Amino acid sequence: MQRNAQSSKLLKTIILALLGTISLVLFFLNFPLPFLPPYLKIDFSEVPALIAALIFSPLAGVVVEGIKNLLYLLVSGAADPIGVAANFLAGVMFIAPVAILYHKFKGVKSIISGLVTGTMVMAIGMSVLNYYVVLPAYAWFIGAPEMAGATAKWVAVSAGVLPFNLLKGVIVGLLFIPLFIKMKAWIEQKQANLAA
Amino acid sequence: MNNALIIGQYVPGESLVHRLDPRTKITVIFFFVFIVFLANSVVSYSVLVIFALLSMFITRIPIRFILKGLTPVWFLIVFTFILHLIVTNKGTVLMDLFGFSIYSGALIQGFAISIRFFLLILVTSLLTLTTTPIEITDAIEDMLHPLKKLRFPVHELALMMSISLRFIPTLMQETDKISKAQASRGVDFRTGPLKERIRAVVPLLVPLFVSAFKRAEELAMAMEARGYQGGEGRTKLRELKLRKRDVMILLLFIAVVAVLLVTRNY
Repeated sequence: MQRNAQSSKLLKTIILALLGTISLVLFFLNFPLPFLPPYLKIDFSEVPALIAALIFSPLAGVVVEGIKNLLYLLVSGAADPIGVAANFLAGVMFIAPVAILYHKFKGVKSIISGLVTGTMVMAIGMSVLNYYVVLPAYAWFIGAPEMAGATAKWVAVSAGVLPFNLLKGVIVGLLFIPLFIKMKAWIEQKQANLAA
Repeated sequence: MNNALIIGQYVPGESLVHRLDPRTKITVIFFFVFIVFLANSVVSYSVLVIFALLSMFITRIPIRFILKGLTPVWFLIVFTFILHLIVTNKGTVLMDLFGFSIYSGALIQGFAISIRFFLLILVTSLLTLTTTPIEITDAIEDMLHPLKKLRFPVHELALMMSISLRFIPTLMQETDKISKAQASRGVDFRTGPLKERIRAVVPLLVPLFVSAFKRAEELAMAMEARGYQGGEGRTKLRELKLRKRDVMILLLFIAVVAVLLVTRNY
């Protein structure tokens, strides 16, 4: 019995690791959108984290997000730790509401309402975070606190961060709903198998 | 791009920096990032620049690899410099350019911040240039060991990181294979209108997830068949060992910090 518990713990560890790798691969497979500047890229790296969060728990989704960002730091050479941390937080804010609502109510409707909530939480959360933490941190870093004036920050948030995160949430959501409908039976089967 | 993902930025070599214990390198670089912000004078900046350039030459990595690592931040460095020229107005006016007055203070400050940037990027990229991702993972596992007492799953985290790193090439190949298979059936997520492209990603992801779970089950079974029982009492193929050269480098680094603290404000 004890042996079984340990097996399923190992299996879970490995599954999260592989989902983290898929997340990184999808992160690099980002596709630039024709109507957005090239540095704002949409990618589907949140999808594996969502799958982990639905099959196991919200925390499992956070772990997959964490692995993706750690891998990215290791592979890309740590040039921009602030951006990586911001990506991690955005991912967590997006997947947590989906997972929490799903585990409470189940079904496609809970996923849709979760994705809508997640998009709002991520867009508003990242705006607040950028306004109070990320932009001042960058400004301090380049030694120009003038950059973090109220007007400059307001423009950056309302014209960049907020619409970008809303759009990202909508696009990932538009992908995830058909994906979930297709994989619903499989996800429920894995849930039952791995619940031990 | 494939190659960059598999080994990261690592450039193989036999230099002193390559052979250092990864824990030594991580420690030195971690503290270097902080002390860069302490430098505030010509002498203290020079100390750091000499230390960084010396480390760079010791690695014997061709300059073009190092410059390649700097490309994403060139723009930021130049942008910061120009920003300072425009915004800062300390010191005396040096010249008038298109109605802007360029102050001597701006030139100095812009230059100092650019050097700071350059130092940070150069030194952190020396870590990934001379250390494989797996070595860094091993070192981090070892350095986080004390957190085990707080029930933080250090070993599981390191296991996940090494499995993930190992499977990057495998899963990249698989993604490529599946997307080609779908493209041959006319499903292409690289072209067409946005809605079509999003829809085309679904048949790419489904087999990817299903096969990842199969792989995970096989790997878990294989590990247990070989007697894997978690981190306790597990021996290692790659043992980390502090050597004399590591102690020397740490002492040298402490000396650099001391000199920096003394020469501050000069």
